[in-house]
Amino acid sequence: MSSARDSAASERAGGAPLLKVEGLRKSFFGVEVLKGVSFTLEAGKALGVIGENGSGKSTTMNIINGLLPPSAGTMAIDGRPYAPANSKEAARAGIAFIHQELNLFENLSIAENLALQAFPRRISWLPQIDKARMRARAADLLRRVDLDLSPDMLVNRLAPGERQLVEIAKALSGDARIIVFDEPTTSLTSREAERLFALVAQLKARGLGVIYISHILEDVLRLCDDVVTLRDGTMVDNRPAASVTTGHLIESMLGRPIAELFPPRSAAAPRQEVALDVRGLTQPGIVHDLTFRVMRGEIVGIAGLMGSGRSETARILFGLDPALSGTVAVNGTVIAQRSPRACMAAGMAFLTEDRRGDGLLLPEGVLTNVELARLADLRTNAAAPLPQAMLDRDASEAARSVRIKAHDLVRQPVLSLSGGNQQKVVLAKWLLREPAVFILDEPTRGIDVGAKAEIYGLVRQLAERGTGVLVISSEVEELLGVCDRVLTMAHGEIVAEFTWPELDRAAILRAAMQRQEGAA
Amino acid sequence: MWRFLRRLLTSEYLVLLLTALYVLCLWPFAPEIVSAQTALEVIMAMLPLLLLAIGQTFVLIVAGIDLSITSTMAFSSVVAAALMTGDGGYLAGNALAVPVALIAFLLIGLAVGCANGLCVVRLGMPSFMVTLVAQTFLSGAAIWFTSLHSTSVSIGDLPAAFSVIGRGGIAGIPYALLLCLVVAFAAHWLLGRTTLGRWLYAVGNNPRAATVSGVPTGRVIIIAFVLSGFCAALASIVYTSRLETGTPVLGQRVLLDVIGAAVIGGVSLFGGRGKISWVILGVLFLSVVDKGLQLLGLSQSIVFAVKGGVILLAAIIDALRSRILVRVAA
Amino acid sequence: MNVTRRAFNLGAILAAGTVILPGAVRAADEKTIAIMFDSLQSPFWVTGFDVLKEKAKAAGYQPLESISNLDDNKQFEQVQSMIQKKVSGIIIVQTDSKAVIPAIREANKAGIPMVHFNRPPAESDAKSSAVQADNRAIMKSTVQALVDKARKAGGKYKAAILIGDLGDQNAIQRRDGFFDVVDQNKDIIEVVARISTEWNPDKAFADLTNALQANPDINFLVTSSDFLLPQIQQALKIAGKWKKTGEEGHVLFAGFDGDEGQYAALKDGYMDVGGVQNLFYEADLAIGAIEKMNKGEEVPKLLLDPGFVITQETLDQDRDKMWGYAVWKKANG
Repeated sequence: MSSARDSAASERAGGAPLLKVEGLRKSFFGVEVLKGVSFTLEAGKALGVIGENGSGKSTTMNIINGLLPPSAGTMAIDGRPYAPANSKEAARAGIAFIHQELNLFENLSIAENLALQAFPRRISWLPQIDKARMRARAADLLRRVDLDLSPDMLVNRLAPGERQLVEIAKALSGDARIIVFDEPTTSLTSREAERLFALVAQLKARGLGVIYISHILEDVLRLCDDVVTLRDGTMVDNRPAASVTTGHLIESMLGRPIAELFPPRSAAAPRQEVALDVRGLTQPGIVHDLTFRVMRGEIVGIAGLMGSGRSETARILFGLDPALSGTVAVNGTVIAQRSPRACMAAGMAFLTEDRRGDGLLLPEGVLTNVELARLADLRTNAAAPLPQAMLDRDASEAARSVRIKAHDLVRQPVLSLSGGNQQKVVLAKWLLREPAVFILDEPTRGIDVGAKAEIYGLVRQLAERGTGVLVISSEVEELLGVCDRVLTMAHGEIVAEFTWPELDRAAILRAAMQRQEGAA
Repeated sequence: MWRFLRRLLTSEYLVLLLTALYVLCLWPFAPEIVSAQTALEVIMAMLPLLLLAIGQTFVLIVAGIDLSITSTMAFSSVVAAALMTGDGGYLAGNALAVPVALIAFLLIGLAVGCANGLCVVRLGMPSFMVTLVAQTFLSGAAIWFTSLHSTSVSIGDLPAAFSVIGRGGIAGIPYALLLCLVVAFAAHWLLGRTTLGRWLYAVGNNPRAATVSGVPTGRVIIIAFVLSGFCAALASIVYTSRLETGTPVLGQRVLLDVIGAAVIGGVSLFGGRGKISWVILGVLFLSVVDKGLQLLGLSQSIVFAVKGGVILLAAIIDALRSRILVRVAA
Repeated sequence: MNVTRRAFNLGAILAAGTVILPGAVRAADEKTIAIMFDSLQSPFWVTGFDVLKEKAKAAGYQPLESISNLDDNKQFEQVQSMIQKKVSGIIIVQTDSKAVIPAIREANKAGIPMVHFNRPPAESDAKSSAVQADNRAIMKSTVQALVDKARKAGGKYKAAILIGDLGDQNAIQRRDGFFDVVDQNKDIIEVVARISTEWNPDKAFADLTNALQANPDINFLVTSSDFLLPQIQQALKIAGKWKKTGEEGHVLFAGFDGDEGQYAALKDGYMDVGGVQNLFYEADLAIGAIEKMNKGEEVPKLLLDPGFVITQETLDQDRDKMWGYAVWKKANG
């Protein structure tokens, strides 16, 4: 701790910025993906870096982290030239990365994870670990990130937010002076995110430099002193956060003004036909007596904190998880034995929260993925030949209608697509089936602003064609922007219902938190 | 140069190139390796191995593994032999002996596959464990069953109508080859052109995504194991008729060859990747290596060393290839 | 994709080239004999393998070896390869006496003589010859030699025999050889223990120990195979009967096979008589049979090795004929 402060002080005296990046360029196979990026990071400040997927954020960060050498340009730390050959050198120079996917060993304890780079030894030349010293050091680091846990706890028992804090503690243990956060809040609850923000403020106060990369522009504006915007490998904007609004940022990211992030609501009132009718759905310990309807053409949102039962509700509706009692009807017909196949046959579709885990065949191409759900509809013998030409034609059509950007719809694995395009693949898969009820769980998680707007538009179009849509989201703004009606869940029950135009952010949040805290 | 090498390594037909290279290297030392006779014998040696490898491929594609195939072969071999042997068989001399025995082969294969699949799906056991247990159990059962029917370690004196399957043919094309061609084409078609094929790959790639997308995941896995058992039964028919003997140690040592051939061909042990054409090349490669070593008539220790080395080389190249593919994709 | 196709074409050309081009280089015209074992699991087979190779070389043949690892199907393929190499003959040790028959037929078809080494095939119409030790005769002369020693020493004897697995013809013949002699000498020998070992060393040890407890006066012991020697030594030691010839409590003891253990036991004086399979003679028989068949002469289906009996007295003069001595020599420098 003291070393960071000392060096911060000495550096201030010297006048050179903590990190100075000038004219960074990078080409892959003759294609320039980074066309001159320059910025400076002062000690005790936070720098936001924003841009759509593919704008050059990752390339820039990989260069700073020593994973890629720049084609041109220079970097300096404290005025001294900095050209890391690998990430180890970057770490030695005081740069720590907190990645989107955390690099912790789940089967080890917190203390072990923190000591992993250099286990303290009892006797220097014997490979015997000094457990007491390891634990003491871990306890100290945990205090610095305000995490009140035993150092002996196994990492796999920690919540995502706690893991993130351990990761930060790990960065601090290496005496990092610059901490780079890459989409740190993706898997955090709002409360965990608040805790993280407080810690970022503390780090700044201690004289560390922070680089913060996120799609959530509100967070960037709130945390950062300056914001750098990248578009197509070019730095299009670099200015103090105080002087901009999210609207400005979106404009400079996209290179064009977007009229609205959210599509206009349809003027016509929702039709009076019930698309989804849920009655008394109960599964002990998970959801209790859920009763609600979604009309055809209506978009209904479910708000709630993590653990409120919102995602579990979706899984139960789609037959992935069991329910003790209650009925689910689509277009008036009760689904007898709920299973994904039965629900699909009844006209349901389900875009899951975990896109990579539940939604995609990552090594396969776009068409194969889009066609997958359609196969269950082919009312033929499974060993009968596929109407391949027809499938490909329809799938390509669906892929085009959601504007998936891919070089090759057949061969390019969806693994290599951006998050937004991956989500569009999942959307296309379900749109191809023209669902009567579409459940979307966190449809825009980890997706850049441009793609978000497109997805909102698609959802609205779908509703206008008569589908009943259920959107589950942890971003209240999203629900406010898209939904005709919002149900708020807490502790497995629906505790409040709001109808547009009486959607109120504060009231929704209050409803979501109140019960939770009352019960806790 | 580096670029060319890289292209070469990522080629689907690398294994074929290696096979040709191997033949060329051996040619000066064992000229017989380049002859119609050798080609025919390599093909004949390949066939049962190929049948097994095709069955195994279905299971590998759904990210499982079937270690029970060799014991399935052995068990069906002795049961069917006990049915039709002229030496006190249940149906000795009966005109229906051979057809009934053939049905017995297939039923045993299907039953074992079904049992394996059910255990994997319903009990959620890893396929490695399930099929290893099945292997041990069936192997013991085969030996016990033989002891009931024969004073020696095997059951011979099989009807000529049966042994003709392994040796005879139509217009010079061996029955075994025809059978193998039919199975290979059927498997190729099934994987590439049917709903079931798509489902197999989807389940292997991501079972959760498959379930969410309406794939009957459990059923698909069971079918994969049933197909593997069925192919093992077919291979057992070919082997048993070739040896004219039902033996409880039939093919005890081919398991590694089968899985090795599939993996050398490029079938992924992690599921979701594999083609019948690759498997054929993998089996061809291993069979040619084997034949070459036999023709050299080298001392046994050298044979093992060479075979091990060749397989290791193929495995290294395979690893290199996937690494390059990953880099190209990134 | 382009390049993949190019690579494929290149491969196809290479493959085609290798098939079309005539076998220009042919190896020097050498006479060869295939020596095909199913495994090398005991010193007997290892020595047999080596002796066959040496004898083949001595007779002017290049030996080609193969080992099937107990896999009948692999051995069948190996036989095919050897036939294709146009070997002058095949000496084979198969795992399964029935599964080898298709291989014999293949050899018959190619006109290549086949000799089975110590494991005759099952009855069939396929033509081949088998070399085998005459177990019953060797056992008879071995036990006779032991009885002679007993008569010389005088007194009455209580006998025990370790019998092998009765599923194995060799074991049955050896047992019969034992009783052929003992039944003629009932006046001085009473058989008190027939120990069925099933060729299982642990069972042999347990049952022999029990027999020695039940009949502490056993002083005449014959084993059907030398490979049980370590267990026999242990059991006798426990009973206080592991004594050299002439020492108090010595058991008249005969072995069978002629392995290195037998040689050591004879040399050290614990064993009195040993029946020996004459591996060297068997190898000569096998190669001779191949040469005869190649000349078109008829060779009987079964060629018997009469073996020989070795005693402590004849050990030094006859040990060079004893295969176990060769093994012993190798192990003990």
